Amino acid sequence: MLCKSCNAEIPKKATRCPECGRAVVKPQKNLYPIAIAGAVISFVGGFFPVIQSTDAIKKFTPAYGFMNYEQPLLWYLFMLLLVASAILCAIKYEKFSIITTVAAAVIYGVTYANIMSLHNGPEMQAGLATVIIVVGTLVGIAGCFLDVNKNAAERKRKNGELDFQYTGNKTVWQRIYIYRGFYLMFIPVFIFVFIFNYLPMAGLRYAVTDYFSGKQPDYVGIKHFVDMFGLTSLSKLTNKQFMAAFLNTLRLSIIKLFLNTFMAVIISLLLHEMRNIYFKKTVQTIIYLPHFMSWVVVASIFKMLTSASDSGMINQLLLNANLISKPIDFLTSPSTWRGVYYAVNIWKDTGWGTILFLATLSGISPDLYEAAQIDGANRMQRMRFITLPALANTIITVFILNLAKVMNLFESVFVMYNPSVYEVSDVLQTYIYRQSFSSGAANYGYTTAVGLFRSVVGCILVLICNKASKKVRGRGIV
Amino acid sequence: MEDNAKKAVYVKPKTKIAPFAIFNTILFIIISIIILIPIWKVLMDSFDATSGYGLKLWPQRFTLGAYKMVVTRSDLYLPFLISIVVTVAGSFLGLLLSTLGAYVLIQWEMPGRNLFSWMLLFTMLFSGGMIPTYVVMMNLHLTNTLWSVILPLAINVYNLVLMRNFFEGIPASLYESAKLDGCSPMGIFFKIVLPLSKAALAAIGLMFAVTYWNDYTNFKIYITNNRLFNFQMKLRAMVMDSDLPGDDGSLSPNTLQNAAVIVAIIPFMILYPFCQDYFVQGVNAGAVKE
Repeated sequence: MLCKSCNAEIPKKATRCPECGRAVVKPQKNLYPIAIAGAVISFVGGFFPVIQSTDAIKKFTPAYGFMNYEQPLLWYLFMLLLVASAILCAIKYEKFSIITTVAAAVIYGVTYANIMSLHNGPEMQAGLATVIIVVGTLVGIAGCFLDVNKNAAERKRKNGELDFQYTGNKTVWQRIYIYRGFYLMFIPVFIFVFIFNYLPMAGLRYAVTDYFSGKQPDYVGIKHFVDMFGLTSLSKLTNKQFMAAFLNTLRLSIIKLFLNTFMAVIISLLLHEMRNIYFKKTVQTIIYLPHFMSWVVVASIFKMLTSASDSGMINQLLLNANLISKPIDFLTSPSTWRGVYYAVNIWKDTGWGTILFLATLSGISPDLYEAAQIDGANRMQRMRFITLPALANTIITVFILNLAKVMNLFESVFVMYNPSVYEVSDVLQTYIYRQSFSSGAANYGYTTAVGLFRSVVGCILVLICNKASKKVRGRGIV
Repeated sequence: MEDNAKKAVYVKPKTKIAPFAIFNTILFIIISIIILIPIWKVLMDSFDATSGYGLKLWPQRFTLGAYKMVVTRSDLYLPFLISIVVTVAGSFLGLLLSTLGAYVLIQWEMPGRNLFSWMLLFTMLFSGGMIPTYVVMMNLHLTNTLWSVILPLAINVYNLVLMRNFFEGIPASLYESAKLDGCSPMGIFFKIVLPLSKAALAAIGLMFAVTYWNDYTNFKIYITNNRLFNFQMKLRAMVMDSDLPGDDGSLSPNTLQNAAVIVAIIPFMILYPFCQDYFVQGVNAGAVKE
């Protein structure tokens, strides 16, 4: 660290500069994650019962919830305010964040008093939500205040330096006026994102209700989560199906990711060695081709190729070569389904996966190869010491980008699986689809709970990948 | 000593065909054949009136009957038309939203830009999931209309961010001089930004078109009326459930199924070799800078 007034080197633990005696101001840590955590805690609290009977706590049985109670609008407002508070913290407007957090707490208080007055009785007491939301609000406000105090000086300094290139030193309102046309232009995007991305998020409240098609949702607390994780003896079957789907999701997508990346790296390394530019172009055109087919088309083609009837080419070939004695129906036998799935994925997407690697490879300076050649490096050595290190970063990037999408696995499985291979092929999304649309009495509440679990795991994965990405290549993926 | 010095002199290697190059060429010919065989088989079977046995290089009994059926029967050409309508309308809407959003997001000094940006990026992080989205669609009375398959795919944050990256490449001085000459934000958008990013428009428009053409999931979830099925749905029904249109017996069902596969892929197979560079550009832009 250097001194601010005399630029002398300051020892690590010193509080004053040894040269000029100026006090050292240590950079403080950002505290806004604490405030965001507070908002998130309160948000989660919104899913729990506001008041419940003393027995209910032990049995997870219905109590008086927040969202399906008389005024779900209040619940919406509560949740929205918390989301706003988290976002405001993230973009460093802690003062507004405090206001929204307090407003959310007030709304909760009003609702609590309202429900309590309606259902007052000796056996009723404050529900889980109350505890969680009180804790969340306190944490949030504490985080905000700590951050406000710390940031006040910093922001002042920043404002002094802050010099907008085009709008000069105009106030916020003047700038809003200058950019008024752009707000108008953003309205269509805003409407679409709001309807198709944010309204469904509000629908996650069904996760704590029993919701049968055509009826009103009915509050049941965390029953569905208890079922999912098999915490009661009645839910063993549900738990088995759910866990199978969850593990299949991880297994299928991660093995697929490894295989595809590995194949793509090998193919791009070899293709890079190809000197004839026309041949290379033609091969590229051909191996990118399957990517443009939909999963339905690919599944149709491979169903016809692998079918056990006499039109199945692969069975014909194997029979003619005497490798098998009778036809195998690859897509309906659990022992072969996964193999076919990986093979089809490699066929479809390996070529497309080489694009990024080839772009990286073509960026390596030919001088490096020439120098290595003069130094006597053979082909393998050149690959080992020049090409692979140059490619390492891209491989990690591709890995991170795809690892974030692990939980999205749906269509490729959905078009290839069938009832006889559910146990090896069912993934979370197909499980949700089947439970919601293919069974008679579909409980949207349960499938929303499964979907919520999927979203949360997916979100955690994206955040981890984002962190990893920042470390590896200096910037995040979102 | 003298011998060693002589050895160190660099001798230019003779140009000769290395065994590695031959091996490499053969390997890639094999890979290309593996990719092409399934497509070739489907293509040949679609022309062959006899049911297919194994791989053949050429149809045994050539017929165009299957394609004639696709063109003449309304339960086969209507899904195709619906696919085209959805693809064209959706790609247009998607491009409109992406360019508008991206243009707003490059206004660095606009108050609230960060908020908008966060609002969009958050949707990449977390989503409501299949069922809440379905309930929203149901409450808006969009299910069983084509809107339910056009609208949700039109807002694609990934493509929007991609578009923003393309726009950032336009020099800021151009905006400035246009503004000084009295051009409105909309005028700058239509007269400067769009004409300068034709390549980006092509790349992202094609990405939208592929998504819409290949869309199966949204149709499966939101549409139950079989008069509104697109070609992917129809193909699926024909191959998996053997839900074949009744025919006069001159064609084997296999021929018709194969012809349907070919019809489903033909638009992009024709378009793709000409647009390959745009697609590749799109992929590289997405990963290299975001």
